[in-house]
Amino acid sequence: MIRLETLASCFQGLIPATLFTCSRDGIPNVAFLSHVEYVDPRHVALSFQFFNKSKANISENPHALVRLIDPDTSQGWALRLRYVRSETAGPVFERMDLRIEAIASYSGLKGIFKLLAADIYEVQSVEPVEGEWARGDAGPIDRTRRPDAVFTMQALQDLSARIHTAGCLDGLLDSILEGMETSFGFTHAMILMPTADDGGLVTIASRGYPENGVGAEVRFGEGICGVVAEARKPIRISGLLRQMLYAFAIEKRAAEQGLCSLVRRIALPGLAAPDSQLGVPLLYRGELIGVLVVESDQPYRFHEEDKTAIELLGSYLAIAIHSMAMQEREPVAAEATPAPVAVQAPVPVPGAVAKPAVGAGAAAGEPRRREVAYYAADECILVDGEYLIRSLPAKIFWKLLNVRQGEGRIEFTNRELRLDKSLNLPEWKDNLESRLLLLRRRLEQKCPDLRIVPTARGRFALQLGSDVVLVQKP
Amino acid sequence: MPPGIVPGFRASGMVGQWRQTMIDGELAAFLEEGISIQLGTRNARLEPNGVRVVAVAVEADGRHLVAYVPEIAVSHVLPDLEANGHAAMVFARPPDERACQVKGTFTGARPAAAGEREAIEAQWGRWLDRLKSIGIERLALELWDVWPCVAIRLQVTAIFNQTPGPNAGARLA
Repeated sequence: MIRLETLASCFQGLIPATLFTCSRDGIPNVAFLSHVEYVDPRHVALSFQFFNKSKANISENPHALVRLIDPDTSQGWALRLRYVRSETAGPVFERMDLRIEAIASYSGLKGIFKLLAADIYEVQSVEPVEGEWARGDAGPIDRTRRPDAVFTMQALQDLSARIHTAGCLDGLLDSILEGMETSFGFTHAMILMPTADDGGLVTIASRGYPENGVGAEVRFGEGICGVVAEARKPIRISGLLRQMLYAFAIEKRAAEQGLCSLVRRIALPGLAAPDSQLGVPLLYRGELIGVLVVESDQPYRFHEEDKTAIELLGSYLAIAIHSMAMQEREPVAAEATPAPVAVQAPVPVPGAVAKPAVGAGAAAGEPRRREVAYYAADECILVDGEYLIRSLPAKIFWKLLNVRQGEGRIEFTNRELRLDKSLNLPEWKDNLESRLLLLRRRLEQKCPDLRIVPTARGRFALQLGSDVVLVQKP
Repeated sequence: MPPGIVPGFRASGMVGQWRQTMIDGELAAFLEEGISIQLGTRNARLEPNGVRVVAVAVEADGRHLVAYVPEIAVSHVLPDLEANGHAAMVFARPPDERACQVKGTFTGARPAAAGEREAIEAQWGRWLDRLKSIGIERLALELWDVWPCVAIRLQVTAIFNQTPGPNAGARLA
């Protein structure tokens, strides 16, 4: 029999599979299937999401036929199956469930669009379908071919070398994303880290997007990022567009009957219409350091070897990020609160694009004026009426601005922030360095004339290229 | 029935029991639109078999339809149909996922006529164009066999809604 594992690309759900069954009284049935999952060399699992005729037939007659199409070659395949059992827990169920949950969260259908069971079938035969031939340009199909381990190992080595040359957390995150592109060819990637408050992730680095999405937030359980974080397991989705359309079809009919309301789509970081996504949790000793997501607008971009390599990479990246964060928080010799330094007049920042200042008086050649408003109840900062950042990074920025205004000091240490009770940092795992990095990147993105500039390990300066007016709101 | 597609089946002795129209004009237009179609059968051991259908034609009485199956694959289903007559066809249209299941009994089969080829290939071509809406390029399936075809005629016995959602499985006719 043709080796089932060599049909891996058929199991991505990119092109709908077809399931043929028959009732005990001999009436055939045909249905399209959202997913066929590879289990082992002798078994596959079919997703059971709704009680339907196929499910009823299988419960009384275990014979089934599944037809699949290889998205790489367009070759059709027929798998003759025999139903064995249904699983509602375990690794196969979890793999299938996570993917469905991610799709459901995009369409606001969590709890409705869900996996009831993974139905396990023994594969009795695998045959190519006559008349559904492979494309000529796909080349000869070697069904015994293994993934190109040499390429994958080389890519991992290249990425590893980049990571070792990074000198700070900032550079490390950029090195990882740059390596994703140059070593693996993944042009759209992002890293998210847990927010200070539980149950959220915030984008701390991204590459390949028209606007860098730093600061974009997502809750646990939302989209591929949130589901990866919640489950702490990798997820790969191919043909997302088609699967979303299927979910939307259900939502539309359910809404028409008043069974659910059409919900607002959740704006998540990343491509507007990705068709392939691969997300891995970055875990260090069981702690979620972050989530790495690569995505593409191609329906089937991430192949088996990509998935294996990125999953393997997840743990390594988590260790690298964790180590760098620990290194950055180590106190430097003679670290103390810096002496007050006289506040300088605002210095124009090269490359900063000046937006019209708030109010009048921003004549050419004069420093512009910025209004920075802190909303205490929401722990949120708006600059000139536009959202900048919230939560702990907002509190830190507000503190820095107030110290600068009150004491005239512009240099700070990480240590003094850690000791500041008003910031209420946890005694350990405070992730202060990543919060500062997030703040710095948001400033670069939204108001580059207001800058946080590292001056030494654990030290930084607040540089303002504008006159800043502080406004505290309830 | 689209122009160019002509009847001409050998009798199977199973025709003529139904008088009620099963497929109205709107549904016929949907079925012939150029969408995904599969035909399922079963053998004496109740093992299912199935093939891809490249085009269909609904007859004017709304009670019969003709499924065009590539000749190269028809041996997977024709022996079953000739032995027990039971057939099921699923029709699905991306991107709105409208779908239905047609149950029927076999009334005959014949080689598709040369005069039918243009209409069959046009319907298949519309399906390939539609695939783009789910991210599959037309080129991907252009090497698949479409012609020559065998025309399989079914008498429709039931139609079920198969559009995903709460009404999936409801009988339409």
